[in-house]
Amino acid sequence: MSRFGTLHTAWMVWDSPAPAPEGVVLEYSRELEKFLADIERRAFRMAQVALRDADDALDVVQDAMLKLTKNYASKPSSEWRPLFYRILENGIRDLQRRRSVRKRIMTWLPGPKEDPDNEAQDPLDSVADTATPIPETLMQDQALEKLEVSLRALPTRQREAFMLRNFEGMDVAETARAMGCSEGSVKTHYSRAVHALREQLGEAW
Amino acid sequence: MSEQPVDSLEERSRALFHGSVENLDMRIRSRLTRARHAALDAATVSNRSWLSRKAWWMPAAGVTAAALLGAVLWMGAPLGHHTVSLADAQSNLEDLDIVASSDESGDAMEMLQDDLDFYDFADKAASPEPAA
Repeated sequence: MSRFGTLHTAWMVWDSPAPAPEGVVLEYSRELEKFLADIERRAFRMAQVALRDADDALDVVQDAMLKLTKNYASKPSSEWRPLFYRILENGIRDLQRRRSVRKRIMTWLPGPKEDPDNEAQDPLDSVADTATPIPETLMQDQALEKLEVSLRALPTRQREAFMLRNFEGMDVAETARAMGCSEGSVKTHYSRAVHALREQLGEAW
Repeated sequence: MSEQPVDSLEERSRALFHGSVENLDMRIRSRLTRARHAALDAATVSNRSWLSRKAWWMPAAGVTAAALLGAVLWMGAPLGHHTVSLADAQSNLEDLDIVASSDESGDAMEMLQDDLDFYDFADKAASPEPAA
């Protein structure tokens, strides 16, 4: 039986009034766990690039996992990836909106200003690194940092299209489902993103 | 199958991104694993409790529906025959009170018997005999 067929059978039984057999539930759980285990690190990094904060990124990834398993696990497994990234991107946008509102409120309040995007507040950042840097690693780190800065500078939809297509390896149709737009829009966003990144990073990058 | 871009910028950025994914520290990996297990546990509990609720409610809903149907049939059937006025109902209740009172139970039974005879006579007088 095909992968989808097995899962579909599992859910047919799962959705019936009688309790589902333990073996079927286990198979369904394993399928979902395999999917999440495969996707979670990339999803975390994408969220981290967008949010610039590891804890916030973990929160939105966990939230996306919960929503997918609770609300959409009965969907065919081929739909999980676009659904998961749609939930994730919505979570990222919500968090960015909340930050923006908080920032606006903070500017009106008296007292010391808190900058939620300020990453230089961690005392560990000011500690000198005594380890001898490896030139290759150092160059890669710098290139990655430059890439992340450039990605953050992109409009949200362009960043989404670029990361889903290029980092996650989704095709145009799947990306369109994840972004909730047409395939033509995905192509436009992606093309503009590549163009903007090339301008920012330089031809030699 | 995914359409893979061939641009050098795209290739390099992809390689850098996947390198950073591979180099995630153990703290993050561990938290992601815990988040995944929490999500799967929550989904399992949610689905199981939904199933148990559904299994419990189905017979309950059946019993309720049967009771409602019975009530409707029982109430609906005598409606055509129940053309009793409020005064008649009060009179019947008074009769019952008389019967129930212990002091004059003997007299009451006689009165009730009289009344029954009277009602029987009144009923016959009211409905004309069918033509032979």
